[in-house]
Amino acid sequence: MIGTASRRLPAQTGELVDRSRPLTFRWDGRDYEGLQGDTIVSALLAGGVDVFSRSFKYSRPRGVLSATFVDPGCTVQVDAEPNVRAAHRRLAAGMDVRPQNVWPSLRFDVKAANGLVGRFLTAGFYYKTFIKPQRLWPAYQQVLSRFASGGVTSRQNVHGYYDKRYVHVDVVVAGAGPAGLAAAVAAADAGCSVLLVEEEYELGGHLRYSGEASLSMLSELRAQVAARPSIEVMTDSVVTGRYDDNWVAVMQRDVGGAIERLVKVRAGVLVAAPGLIERPYVFAGNDLPGVMLSTAVRRLINLYAVKPGERAVVLTANADGDAAAADLTRVGVDVVRVLDGRAGETIRRATGRGRLQAVELEDGTVLPADLLVTATGWTAPTSLINMAGDRPVWNPTAARFVPSGDGLPPTVLATGGLVGDGSTEELIAHGRAVGALAGDRAEGRAGGSVPELAGEPHPAMFRASTHGFVDFSEDVSSKDVVAAAKEGYDSSELVKRFTTATMGPSQGKLETINTIAVLSEATGRGIEDLGTTVWRPPYAPISLGALAGRVFEPTRVSPMQSWHEEHGAVPLLAGQWIRPDHYGAAAEEARNVRENVGIIDVTPLGKLALSGPDVPKLLNLVYVNKWSKLAVGSVRYGVMCAEDGVVMDDGVTGRLDEHRYLMSTTSSGAATVWEWLENWLQTAHTDWQVHVTPVTTAYASINVAGPKSRQLMQRVVEGVDLSTEAFGYMKVRQGRIAGVDDCVMWRIGFTGELSYEMHVPASYGLHVWEALLEAGDDLGIQAFGVEAQRILRLEKGHLIVAQDTDGLTRAHSAGLGGMVKLDKDDFAGKPELAWHERDALATAPRLVALQPEDPSAVPPEASQIITADGGILGRITSSRMSPTLGHGICLAQVDPAVAAPGTVVTIRLPSGSDITATVREDLAFVDPEGVRLRA
Amino acid sequence: MIRIPCPHCSARNSAEFRHVGEAAPRPDPSTATPEQWRVYLYERSNPAGWTTETWFHTMGCRRFISVERHTVTNEIRSARPVGSTGPGPAEALSARGDAGSPDAGGQA
Amino acid sequence: MWTRKGCVCVPETWTPVARSAITVPGPRSVVDGWEVSTRRSSAALRLSDASPLAKVSVRADPDGALAHALGVRFRSSHRRDGILVVGSGPGEWLLVGGVGAAHQIAEQVRGLAAGDFVTAIDVTHGRALMRLTGRDASRALSKVCAVDLSDAVTPEGAAFRTSVAKLTTDVVRDDAGAGTGEPSYLLHCERSSGQYLFECLLDAGMEFGVEPSGPTVDGGGA
Repeated sequence: MIGTASRRLPAQTGELVDRSRPLTFRWDGRDYEGLQGDTIVSALLAGGVDVFSRSFKYSRPRGVLSATFVDPGCTVQVDAEPNVRAAHRRLAAGMDVRPQNVWPSLRFDVKAANGLVGRFLTAGFYYKTFIKPQRLWPAYQQVLSRFASGGVTSRQNVHGYYDKRYVHVDVVVAGAGPAGLAAAVAAADAGCSVLLVEEEYELGGHLRYSGEASLSMLSELRAQVAARPSIEVMTDSVVTGRYDDNWVAVMQRDVGGAIERLVKVRAGVLVAAPGLIERPYVFAGNDLPGVMLSTAVRRLINLYAVKPGERAVVLTANADGDAAAADLTRVGVDVVRVLDGRAGETIRRATGRGRLQAVELEDGTVLPADLLVTATGWTAPTSLINMAGDRPVWNPTAARFVPSGDGLPPTVLATGGLVGDGSTEELIAHGRAVGALAGDRAEGRAGGSVPELAGEPHPAMFRASTHGFVDFSEDVSSKDVVAAAKEGYDSSELVKRFTTATMGPSQGKLETINTIAVLSEATGRGIEDLGTTVWRPPYAPISLGALAGRVFEPTRVSPMQSWHEEHGAVPLLAGQWIRPDHYGAAAEEARNVRENVGIIDVTPLGKLALSGPDVPKLLNLVYVNKWSKLAVGSVRYGVMCAEDGVVMDDGVTGRLDEHRYLMSTTSSGAATVWEWLENWLQTAHTDWQVHVTPVTTAYASINVAGPKSRQLMQRVVEGVDLSTEAFGYMKVRQGRIAGVDDCVMWRIGFTGELSYEMHVPASYGLHVWEALLEAGDDLGIQAFGVEAQRILRLEKGHLIVAQDTDGLTRAHSAGLGGMVKLDKDDFAGKPELAWHERDALATAPRLVALQPEDPSAVPPEASQIITADGGILGRITSSRMSPTLGHGICLAQVDPAVAAPGTVVTIRLPSGSDITATVREDLAFVDPEGVRLRA
Repeated sequence: MIRIPCPHCSARNSAEFRHVGEAAPRPDPSTATPEQWRVYLYERSNPAGWTTETWFHTMGCRRFISVERHTVTNEIRSARPVGSTGPGPAEALSARGDAGSPDAGGQA
Repeated sequence: MWTRKGCVCVPETWTPVARSAITVPGPRSVVDGWEVSTRRSSAALRLSDASPLAKVSVRADPDGALAHALGVRFRSSHRRDGILVVGSGPGEWLLVGGVGAAHQIAEQVRGLAAGDFVTAIDVTHGRALMRLTGRDASRALSKVCAVDLSDAVTPEGAAFRTSVAKLTTDVVRDDAGAGTGEPSYLLHCERSSGQYLFECLLDAGMEFGVEPSGPTVDGGGA
């Protein structure tokens, strides 16, 4: 009768399950039935299942321990999602739930054999065993991956939709137990906007499962929250971290159609109200299914109406343990013995095959039982205040770490169980006072005082006379901690790293105190001296998908992009720009430019509109060459060097009228140059009258190149005399192109051909582009892409900054030394360039053109130029097969020793073979005299 | 993420800014010795404590601002429009996002 | 209308068609020289392309005559004679007006300069402009923008430049311009990234049922 709700209790006050809504789901290949409101684990327990996983190292069967998110034995696979916390996750109809980390099955696990050799898998086992020899590491990895826990992800999974949101609030309250709820209400009443974050699906914390009086207080608090619209509530959400300036990360699950949403909150004040986590007790057999914490028992009974066992032994050292015993008795569980920790009573061990069968007491009495409940103390999750600067201190009275109160900025406060103990009324009063103080601080007021919340006396109970697990996720026993201490790992941080205790999925929330307590026992040093380990973000696991979020990568396209796509352009990603690399045949596109006419979309070229009377001063400062005499209607090529003399950018700048200039930069350098100009103007020459306006995409830029380009221009340009005499090389004109006003055109020649670069108001880019193609149809016009342009410029010997230069290339080493005018008063990099010219010219590398002797050879870019004995003399910076000349052409940075024209150099190819090439007279392979571009 | 109290735009996430670095005044280029010039280019005090540094509000007002920040606590004491310095050394190169991008400017 | 120039037939007069950087689905037609989508949405949250509107970038002394005449400081905006004047930076303004009005606006600005050093540049074609309107506009925008969008910090008329979906974007809270009584934001960015920003905002608005809409080219400016 597997799958029936055999352990379901009659209706409990405050239960979350809806008995009118049964849900069917699968577990480990079989059908089960649960209720709406169940967690996966409560539904399975109700259906008679006790074991949900196998442990990490020894493959021991594990069941429910805490019945919370961090329950180490309750991690499962749900459909395609691995590592689901089944004691937290709400059951949904049709879920396919499977155990993970079992092989071949949950019931028969081959790895359980490790239990037999368990004594060999002691602390430091991995470090000691798998260190040497190094060549076996791949084999070790295969073995270890078998042991690693974790579910299965499919490579076919589509990337889920994850979300992100920014929130600005006055107060964030982390945790919605009684103190957190009261704090949120008080902060709202102080006039603040509040974000209340709760890890569970409902507000209330322990009030939800602590009897009718608590429930009535809870319903009042919930009503107060609901009545305040300035409180935003996020449930099933966790504050995972607190960072500088109260930047608070909240992970919100299953919301707004997204799997997870990372909420980035800028909070005025953060109130940490995480409550307390119940601490397990260390004894032999403490991981057997059937051994549970008192809060787990109370959750199962009161929230999910599940009977956790039939015959129970209860070890209690506090009121919650007493309440658990009372709950058990109330629902008909046979409580065979209650041991009082406050009176020094304890147990020795738990025994059973596969699950708990008996409890052995200190006097040797053996009590048959299927449920052992422990209530031996608490851990304060000091994580958030730790991240905010607090270093928690040991409170021996309450037997737990508490906030020190020092080191916190005024914008971080704590309340509730984290701070101390009290009745529900006292917790609420404390929360209210802290909330009011948070409100005051968020509003910049001093704020009032907060009542004391002291830690109640609690016996310091950590371990029985036997050894058991301190870390259930990592299978670390108290014996391992003792062994580590004996080997000299005698501090909390060292033991953690050596044994891996607290490093598993629950990240120390259940394990830290017991680890330190056992270490204290082994070393004789007090817990207060050992101190706790530092909690770091994230407090709860976050999927990588949530951290990555949706992909925001701005892309940029020109106004002609739709045409490029329709005409088969192969895209090239250049920075953020998507550009046509070619339209199918780059060499043919290049040849057509040499023979007829081609057009290329050069919109990404950086363009800056410069205006003002002091523009010439600015140009003289940022370019190495001279600009004072640039006439209206002319353009000039300029080179920029940084203050260290290294070539930074190049381009042409044209003077459109008296005080108006258009500067072009490389496309990759556009943003840098703009910032650089602003830097000079804002920091060094604040008195200059210059305005810099970026207009890169205000214009669509089209380069028309080829011997027939003037013919083409004559058909589309109005109002400009295009004759050589009227519009010569390096001149700029403004006019109308294809009916579009306000166009700028200049004659330059990056390709080495007669060429016009036109800058057209961008919205008309596609219109002008199509008009050019139409008008040039009989001239053999073809669009060409970036690759053809690169071939053409290389044939012409024109360098590309940052391709033919690098981070050390001074102007002279780029063949640009002649442009550097040291007789100017000042310009960027002048001192370095002066010293370079004086001291380093003879030894600095040079840019040369190389022609491989084998005409079919094209040495790949970055191939090295070597000496006879393999020393390096330089490298190829650009290389292509020239469609015009029919042989390979290269630019190279070389040692001056081999820079003289006619020198034959050896180039080592990546394949390892060598070829030879000759240094040419001129950088230009085609038309070195410049006849074509001046036509 | 720390917030920079931009004197023009109000406090913004530091991701909107470019950290230019510790302010280094530009020597007179006509008289500077190589040693002085290279101090300007490369030498920074990099203290564990208070420092005066320049930030550029790339995604906001596009102004250079001068910020007094404690490098250990990230506390910010003041933020004001930048005084008279200079653009500094490898300014441009450090900001260059995608060197080798295949487009050069026009050529003579 | 075709004539022989050289040896090929080309139109004697060209009819230039302007196109926005943003593609809005739906039937298209040419209005005021702009090819636009005629799709209109009445969804609770709408994202419309407003790129055809005239945009003029102005630079001047933040304390000079022009600043005084414009009457708008950085981080605020106001509407006057159908022109939205946005204080978009220290000593920097963006003026948004009706389709085709850029030259006229620039001339007006130069007229107000009273001899000060002033630059007015038509950036109509250099910027993509869009408007997000609806009750949930700020909630949608807060998914891609880290600036506090509450009325206390960025009320009606507020203008700021920040990162929106990792893109430098100018934002103006301009409920009045939408004229529907709902919260409304004008966003503008470099033209080349207009489509990217438009798609990011559609994605952010998905959970609020956002729909795209063709240009709102109403006579009243932005």
